Amino acid sequence: MVSQEIEIAGLNKSFGQGAAAFQALRDIDLTIASGEFFTLLGPSGCGKTTLLRIIAGFEQPSAGTLRINGRDVTGLGPNKRPVNTVFQSYALFPHMSLADNIGFGLKMQGKPRAEIRATVAEMLQLVRMEAMADRRPSEISGGQQQRVALARALAPRPRVLLLDEPLSALDLKLRKEMQSELKRLQSETGITFVFVTHDQEEALTMSDRIAVMSAGHILQLGAPQEIYNTPVNRFVADFIGDTNFLKLRVKAVEGGAAVLELPGGKTAQASLPEGMAPTTGALVTAVIRPEQAEAAAPGTGDLQATVESATFFGTDTHLHLTLADAQGFVLRRQNRPGQPAPAPQSRLGLALAPGALRVLKD
Amino acid sequence: MRPAVAEGRYSITRLPGFGLIAVLTFVMLYLPIIILVVYSFNSGVSQSRWEGFSLQWYQAAFNNAQVRDVSLRSLWLALAAASIATVLATLAALGTTRVGRFPGQTMIYALINQPLMVPEIVTGIALLIFVAAVKVQTGYTGMGYLVAAHTAFCIPFAYLPIRARLETLDPALESAAADLYASPVQAFRYVTLPLMVPGILAGFMLGFVISLDTVVITEFVKSAGQDTLPTYMLGQLRRAVTPEMNAIATLFLALSLVIVTAFFLITRTRGR
Repeated sequence: MVSQEIEIAGLNKSFGQGAAAFQALRDIDLTIASGEFFTLLGPSGCGKTTLLRIIAGFEQPSAGTLRINGRDVTGLGPNKRPVNTVFQSYALFPHMSLADNIGFGLKMQGKPRAEIRATVAEMLQLVRMEAMADRRPSEISGGQQQRVALARALAPRPRVLLLDEPLSALDLKLRKEMQSELKRLQSETGITFVFVTHDQEEALTMSDRIAVMSAGHILQLGAPQEIYNTPVNRFVADFIGDTNFLKLRVKAVEGGAAVLELPGGKTAQASLPEGMAPTTGALVTAVIRPEQAEAAAPGTGDLQATVESATFFGTDTHLHLTLADAQGFVLRRQNRPGQPAPAPQSRLGLALAPGALRVLKD
Repeated sequence: MRPAVAEGRYSITRLPGFGLIAVLTFVMLYLPIIILVVYSFNSGVSQSRWEGFSLQWYQAAFNNAQVRDVSLRSLWLALAAASIATVLATLAALGTTRVGRFPGQTMIYALINQPLMVPEIVTGIALLIFVAAVKVQTGYTGMGYLVAAHTAFCIPFAYLPIRARLETLDPALESAAADLYASPVQAFRYVTLPLMVPGILAGFMLGFVISLDTVVITEFVKSAGQDTLPTYMLGQLRRAVTPEMNAIATLFLALSLVIVTAFFLITRTRGR
């Protein structure tokens, strides 16, 4: 049985008072399972960092409760919670050696020296920094500081590790490396990770579950595949990955699906979100991912389109198309040898993958 | 006509007369001091005619019991005032930077830095009147008045580098300490305080030099027999200027240089 590590109920947080008050979090209910890699994803200002700071104990909620491993920790300070944080700025103590940085939490817990020394050595090995124990934080690179910050937060063996956009300061290559490093550390230690990021790709590749946040709300909670394939609303569909939004007319409604009229006269089936029953003839927003359609010979397929431009991305090419009714459409096409990008103003057909078209609530 | 602009960038060094003014300024600043130092080694009494090298004026100064007396008083007064001022300034800096913004914060800054703004002579006269009243009321005429006056005067000088240091510290460091199970006292003891040390040392040295140097405040507050080195020298100069004064001033200069150099080294190398 999976036990609940973090249980958040009815959590609200506002800053300031009266007319100047700003509500950062609204009625958050959330449970995170033990050993889960959980990601809070959203644009800046959505409340994800505030939520993380409340779990850490740096901020107190205005209302609601927070339990960690079944214990109510709502009123406790950060030093009394079995939670450690990897800060965005790393926040390594500049006046201490790397070993002293890593051992700091254990020292504050009053652990015996021999145990501290053993754990520090183990942690240095875990993040592959054995040779640098006596250096100062100012003497190592950003990526190495990142590893030390991780080792320092893991050394006291917390129940939960909080990570506040820890990879945002690294360059792309190092970021990719640290992503797999984080996954490795998480599976090796079995500690629950709560990861904050605004990078949707990072969230999709690393997480067991993602909470997409906006304006203090959790909009959608689910596995990466679920969030990507079945976004609940326009914001989530737009924020996660690339999406084509099409305004289409409903021709018929059959059970949980609608038959939509496509530009050019053909029709296609689109799944309807739960609780939505549009009337025949109504205009709805339908979404389809750029990779879920295929180019076909002109005159064939579901849609007819004119090529406006092509953007080369290495692994694939994005074709910017215009449909018969002047709506835009982006098609992602895998690059293959000997397959040139179609010339601007050339025409092609589009075949939509079955089940790819979905109606969204606005 | 092109103004003094190099590659689109304004450069003050290209203004006509820049070099001349710079040289004149340095001459005005340092030539008198160099002359003072040179004539401290003169074997004659003259301040304008070189009569050969001698250390006799240093000998005279060291053998002068009064000079020893006022020097010691100056040193321990500066030590006491700078120490107390540094402790108070450290607390003030913590109180004004380690809390959220509060109403009247700017006014508190202004009040702490007030002695930098108010003319020293005004502070001096105010202290004279105040101390005189207290002396009449209590009958106490000891060094306490000078220590208190110097302390108050030193606080803003000690406060500035300490606050500057605190403001450059990443607040996340203290959060990290708390996150790693440090109690508020432990977080201060192991993280905040060690990181403040360069600022505190700089503040102490600045306060020490200011106290050592101040004439006006001491002159107005001191009772009979409480001369410090600067007020003693001022008194001697009213009579006759002998190279003994040059010798004392040179030693005084050397001490200041040592402290200022230490200040510079501390703020530079440990200030990272």
